[in-house]
Amino acid sequence: MDPSRSDRILQDWDAVASQARRPVDPPRAVVVRSGLSGTSLAGALVLVAALLLAVVWYGRPVSDDQTGGILVPPSATPAMTPPASDGPSADPSPSPSATPTPTSQPSPTPRVTWCAPADLAARITMWEGAAGSRIAHVELTNNGSKDCILRTTMKPQLVDGRGAVLIDGAEPPASDGTTFAPGAVATTLVQASNYCGPAPVAPVSVAFVVPEGRTVATPVSPADTTLPPCNGAPNSAGSIEMHPWAT
Amino acid sequence: MAETTEFAYERAFEAHWTDVFRFALAWTNDWSEAEDLAQEAFVRLWNHRAGLDWERPVLPWLLVTTRRLATDRFRRLRRRLVAFSEPASLDAAVQARWLDVSAAMSELSPLERAALVMTAVEGASYDEAAGVLGTTAGALRAAVSRARTKLEAA
Repeated sequence: MDPSRSDRILQDWDAVASQARRPVDPPRAVVVRSGLSGTSLAGALVLVAALLLAVVWYGRPVSDDQTGGILVPPSATPAMTPPASDGPSADPSPSPSATPTPTSQPSPTPRVTWCAPADLAARITMWEGAAGSRIAHVELTNNGSKDCILRTTMKPQLVDGRGAVLIDGAEPPASDGTTFAPGAVATTLVQASNYCGPAPVAPVSVAFVVPEGRTVATPVSPADTTLPPCNGAPNSAGSIEMHPWAT
Repeated sequence: MAETTEFAYERAFEAHWTDVFRFALAWTNDWSEAEDLAQEAFVRLWNHRAGLDWERPVLPWLLVTTRRLATDRFRRLRRRLVAFSEPASLDAAVQARWLDVSAAMSELSPLERAALVMTAVEGASYDEAAGVLGTTAGALRAAVSRARTKLEAA
């Protein structure tokens, strides 16, 4: 009896997989492959910083505790808790004082507040294709005149040229923040997957939603319609996620 | 004691690198990534060598670790930032053949591919494969069935 198609594919898989060559020496440290482009290397460095923040965001990246009960599992990455503070609070309203205080007292230092979306300028520097998804490289600049606190994670959205939401991301689980000086630049990656809706109005971009408002990134080009491919049924929900901002 | 542990690690590497690579290949359907995963899994083994019971089989530990690494979302994203060339360890003829095989297998989910390869190619039982893949034997059986159906229909 002839083998079925699936059996033939598996035979081929087995034959090709058997061509794998074991490295000569057992690894004792992770080796970075050669051939990094300058851009990739820079991106990787940025991502290292982003990953450190990501650990705070997500806690242990791999939460599956299934070990098969064979041996002692790898020790868990120490759980990191988000900061207790939910960020700086708004300046309290000054209350009238019955007795004026001497002018020799130092004036209070202005408190730093969350970055206002109006002070932030985002732009997509490039889209990167990946299997089943698209990754936007985004730069964010503080165009304001003073330090502010940048929320390291925001709710990302894929939006069309009219600002309509094509894919809506999830609210970030915590409001961790980092000081963002005037003129400073932060970068992130936004990964969008599975857009199965109608053709959007150009240009497609990404937006970042915070309680104070929304910042829409300048698209790569006015006619850009980069979209993640539809991997599911028509009109099935897409997904969009962002890395924490790396400054 | 240290020498013994190191020796055990080297023996595990020689005995199981191919198994780990093949499992990673089944899960990812990506040759270069499978090589990276195999390396990272053994680095994990090296890093945890002091706490392991080397009297017990190490392969299930390696396979579970490989699956965990493969499903680490940030590892996947990080990897996409690095410009990889085609698998350097493959000659052109094998590479061409791999493209055909991987295209056919791309119809399957990672779980379906790994379940099918583990049971139909590697000879693992449903219970063994389910333990490694973090699922039940029933769910694994269903995944294998779906995988077969998809491959036949492709």
